[in-house]
Amino acid sequence: METNFILAGFGGQGILLAGTILANSFMLEGKNVTWYPCYGAEMRGGTVNCEIVVSDSEVSSVHKQDTDYALVLNQQSFDKFVHRVKPGGTIVSNSTLVAEARPRTDIKYVFAPMTQIANELGNSKVANMAALGVLASVCSVVSKEYLAKGFEKVMSGKKKELLPLNIKALESGYNILAQAK
Amino acid sequence: MTDNNEKVLIKGNYAIAQAAINAGCQCYFGYPITPQTEIGEYLSAEMPKLGRGYVCAESEIAAINMVVGAVSTGVRAMTTSSSLAVALMQEALSYAASDELPVVLVNVMRAGPGLGYIYPAQGDYNQSVYGGGNGDYKIIVLAPSTVQECIDLTYRAFYLAQKYRNPVILLADGLLGQMMEPACFGENPYPEVDVSSWALTGAKGRESRAIYSLGPNEKKQIQHVYNLFKKFEVIAEKETTYEEFQTEDAEIVLTAFGSMTRNIKAAMKVLRDKGIKAGCFRPITLSPFPHKRILELATEGKNFVVVEMNMGQMYKDVKYSVEGRSEVGLINRPVGEWLSVEEIVEAVEKLMEKNYAASIQYS
Repeated sequence: METNFILAGFGGQGILLAGTILANSFMLEGKNVTWYPCYGAEMRGGTVNCEIVVSDSEVSSVHKQDTDYALVLNQQSFDKFVHRVKPGGTIVSNSTLVAEARPRTDIKYVFAPMTQIANELGNSKVANMAALGVLASVCSVVSKEYLAKGFEKVMSGKKKELLPLNIKALESGYNILAQAK
Repeated sequence: MTDNNEKVLIKGNYAIAQAAINAGCQCYFGYPITPQTEIGEYLSAEMPKLGRGYVCAESEIAAINMVVGAVSTGVRAMTTSSSLAVALMQEALSYAASDELPVVLVNVMRAGPGLGYIYPAQGDYNQSVYGGGNGDYKIIVLAPSTVQECIDLTYRAFYLAQKYRNPVILLADGLLGQMMEPACFGENPYPEVDVSSWALTGAKGRESRAIYSLGPNEKKQIQHVYNLFKKFEVIAEKETTYEEFQTEDAEIVLTAFGSMTRNIKAAMKVLRDKGIKAGCFRPITLSPFPHKRILELATEGKNFVVVEMNMGQMYKDVKYSVEGRSEVGLINRPVGEWLSVEEIVEAVEKLMEKNYAASIQYS
């Protein structure tokens, strides 16, 4: 089985890092995975995205037209990628910065205040980890435990100090939808 | 970075850079250009730590000529660049081929012609395989299709360059350079090559040597070119490599090089599910090209469909290889978004109706 993800947001929101952590979590789980960034004349404040394909068998193609899951952290990314979600797929949005709209009827919508979660933890930079937590709570392919291991793998050396805060953000994101019910 | 068997999630560009270090690359000379700048960035940090050489050259022409100079002393050296800047290096490649110098050049292809843009493409097949330099010469060209192969073929590039005293191009593309996949560095599997019979190491205690390509003696120059081509016949005999998937019962063989191989493999599975007997063929060495194997498959009546991100550059080599014994079709887009599995499947079905002898071009 193959599952595709697109992660997107502002430059500076830690999108590529979140994608790298997600891809590492899949690798550590023993799955086959490919991470591919948009690259171009990007700038701070512009949009940035990466695509991740995870599969039990060999990952062949990347750079796909459509995706099973889109994780979007800002409005521009929602507007762009809501059209790239496969019918039956899911768009997971940061409701702090994305208006709750449902322009298509054939996909699922998840809204969670990712930036707000991060701000409440005292650091807006961990919104990306909160976002991964939300994603893990709605997507069975993504494992919260392996996301934590992925973070440790990616953030080596001194950055390890950031682990507790990021795990908190991951947990808060993971639990937010259940709390809202 | 590691050189053991731990799996790491790594970008193709970084994988090439670390593999070059593991392969014993003593000197790196380069000039930044997207989509391969990470190679130089990585080596600018790592090479000085190891006491090895890193120079950000003033131009690509300077960089490749620095490599020519370095490798003439018997050390392993490399430059990396992308399409339009590799174009600038063609003169030096012709010299290096004639001088029989083990230059290693990595080309992470982007869109052309001219300035083009930074998105990936496969438009430098001709530039690499047939060369843009003057005179008759041949380059060994290796085309990786995964990040793991970026590592494996970088090891091989350094080995083949010294073993045959011939320039080697590792032909990757922006997709491979930028994407991350799990990969293992392992150990460089190739032995040291003895360069003591020719390397310019100072003539203390021995006859002096010279390496040059000037050929004012006509008879000698004729013989020199023949010798270069005889050497390449040996390379073709011993080093031609390719990969095949499910070609045994295939009626149609999808053929691609580099990272496009990934999509033809996926397309093959979809076609098989539809009851179409498809297989895959992929040259790993683009030069020497696996003409012989393609002819064998063609002789068994298998038709070919070449899928590539250019205007049909490898297509011509496949067409030449089949010697008219089967049909060869083409599916292509010149640059940009990689041909998707769906596009390939759709085009193959169209080509079947035309008995394969046609081309389907996407925009």
